Amino acid sequence: MNELAQLVDDLCSRSTGNELWRNLEDTGLARLTSGQGAGPTEAAIVLSGLARHAAAVPIAETDLLAAWLADEAGLPVPSTGQLTVAIADATEVDGRLSGSARDVPWPSSTVVLAARRADALHVGLVDAVSDGPLTFDVAVGELRTVDVALADELTRRGAWARCNQIVGALDAACEMTIAHTAERVQFGRQLNKFQAVQHSLAAMAGEIERARAATALAVAAATDYGFGHPATDYAVTVAKVAVGRAVDPVTTIAHQLHGAIGVTAEHRLWRATMPARGWVDEFGTTASYARRLGRMALAADDPWDVVVSYPAPR
Amino acid sequence: MIFQDPFVGRRAHHQCANCFDERLVPVLDRSRLVSMVGRPLDGHDNSCSDVGLLVSWPVTEFDALCANDAELGQLRTSIREFLTADRDKFGWQPAVDCWLAKWDPDFSARLAEAGFVGLTIPAEYGGRGLGYLHRYVVTEELLANGAPVAAHWIADRQVAPALLAYGSEEQRRRLLPRIATGQLYSAIGMSEHAAGSDLAAAQARATRTDGGWVLNGTKVWTSGAHVAHQIVVLARTSPLDPEHRHAGFSQFIVQTSAPGITISPILLMNGEHHFNEVLFEDVFIPDEDVLGQIGDGWHQVTAELGFERSGPERILSTAILIFSAIRALGDVDDGVAADVGDLVARMISLRQLSISVARTLTDGRDAASRAALVKDLGTRFEQDSVELVADLLDYVEEQGPLRALLATARVHSPLFTLRGGTNEVLRGVVAKGMRI
Repeated sequence: MNELAQLVDDLCSRSTGNELWRNLEDTGLARLTSGQGAGPTEAAIVLSGLARHAAAVPIAETDLLAAWLADEAGLPVPSTGQLTVAIADATEVDGRLSGSARDVPWPSSTVVLAARRADALHVGLVDAVSDGPLTFDVAVGELRTVDVALADELTRRGAWARCNQIVGALDAACEMTIAHTAERVQFGRQLNKFQAVQHSLAAMAGEIERARAATALAVAAATDYGFGHPATDYAVTVAKVAVGRAVDPVTTIAHQLHGAIGVTAEHRLWRATMPARGWVDEFGTTASYARRLGRMALAADDPWDVVVSYPAPR
Repeated sequence: MIFQDPFVGRRAHHQCANCFDERLVPVLDRSRLVSMVGRPLDGHDNSCSDVGLLVSWPVTEFDALCANDAELGQLRTSIREFLTADRDKFGWQPAVDCWLAKWDPDFSARLAEAGFVGLTIPAEYGGRGLGYLHRYVVTEELLANGAPVAAHWIADRQVAPALLAYGSEEQRRRLLPRIATGQLYSAIGMSEHAAGSDLAAAQARATRTDGGWVLNGTKVWTSGAHVAHQIVVLARTSPLDPEHRHAGFSQFIVQTSAPGITISPILLMNGEHHFNEVLFEDVFIPDEDVLGQIGDGWHQVTAELGFERSGPERILSTAILIFSAIRALGDVDDGVAADVGDLVARMISLRQLSISVARTLTDGRDAASRAALVKDLGTRFEQDSVELVADLLDYVEEQGPLRALLATARVHSPLFTLRGGTNEVLRGVVAKGMRI
């Protein structure tokens, strides 16, 4: 495991952008779960490692989402290059499906469309999009139809990936803040010698470690049972709330302790804090997952069961 | 990683078919698996020699992280069954902050009789010889159900581990079996009027005499001293050395019946009596009641803090209030459901962090910073939960029982972030662990 993390660190320190992507493909990291037979544990290490280096590459979209969904639908996709998914609610009129996918992450050359209806998920390849919503209007027969449960799994996979990425980004923000408060001198002292600053650093660490613990449970669930299992649904729901609620305090403290330099384009702090803030809203807001978890607790015979583990019968 | 990373990996269950003792061992660590074979396991008189029956098979990491794998899950079921039956029969009311507030010697004895006290005490001293995670599961179930555990709590949670780590053989044989029957009640005398967060400022002093020590000084906030059999006292045995403030402390096991002890109540703001001021005037302590090494007291009281700081009692002091409120809620709108979800997510993620620390400590690795984090985050959660539940009452029809729990919680709530080291001090510990 440490070797994998080390490999990610090495690749990220050697390359960025397209060159990094090529290196990830050469080493097999670009399609770990879809092409290399690796599992969620490995994927989590790669995703958080890349995020910690603010590496702008669509590994989650390509490997965990698009390649997986295409495979489930029996659609051949290129074995190299970047992939993404467009998720949309679709309506069927006279044998044609239409709809519009907002917020397509990483619009790139190959887009796997996931058009969702109440009782089925329709999957197909569509042309590249630029920024903006992807609208579609296709004959039902042109898309493959799969179990609607895969739509939930797709969202769950996305939320799971974002949790791992956010933890990596928050780690980076924290490391930068520790370094900055050790270097910066005011009133004749390093910032980290002030008790108020130490307490803010501790608060930051607390939020991150709590988010990490919740994410570790989601990684274990996905590894042990797969993304389709109710245990994973439970753990991802918990993680998305715990991680989501950590982002604001951690990024706020990171910026506060950096002072004004941290809000500038020239400083690299934003490359950790801004992606973390963006990822929070993807694949369901924090509040939507909180509602889900709340409903689980309210429906349980004993809410304590929901705290201990997922409450569904085995 | 902000702190030293705990072992993260797959685990295998390891079971001896003869003695039914199971251990979790890291699959990757073959040497450790091998070293366990043929070694007597805690709590077993005979060395387990039937190597041929040793098998290992995978348990899910998920269940291990939930402290709910096969063996722990079974233990969880049995303590739940005990609690339900005991409550039905004896009628105790689940309480907020039960580990401080609910002193019930009969309950403690019944709990021990059923095998749920002294779990980590080896069998040769009357305990169950099980692991820390077993105790973790039993403890959290007791707290989640608000059971009246205060009488045996300190003896089982703090004194027994200290005796096992530092006690003499004679002390272990004398005290551990009584602890395991839930019938030895102990208090801990650490803080003083001028030594709160700054414990090294403690001035209670023991001086050498024939066959023992003479103790003088005053301890405060000594929970349960008025009903306890003994107090484990931290006192100076050498004068303060300003260069080495932590040197020169020793620990003594002092009988509350000893001549020269005066115990006076310090009442909580609603009149509840848990705390005491304990005055020691020329109290004689025989040599056999010195705990550990003279001069080693500071190390002894701080070495095991990780378990204490990161345990379920730092998260679940208000659990019964939270669960009662959730159970009492009828149909609620999405906003209330989200509030409940946020509350539950905080609890689950804190529990996950707490279990992660427990597993790290159980593996014999350091987790001091993360243990301090659990206490800081967990006790603030306990405090926050009180007012979050108060807001939920708008949606509850039958408010009476909840109002009573809430009233107690509001009185006890300031204690959560004070006891066992203030959160301000803990945050300093955390910050230092961040290599600043």
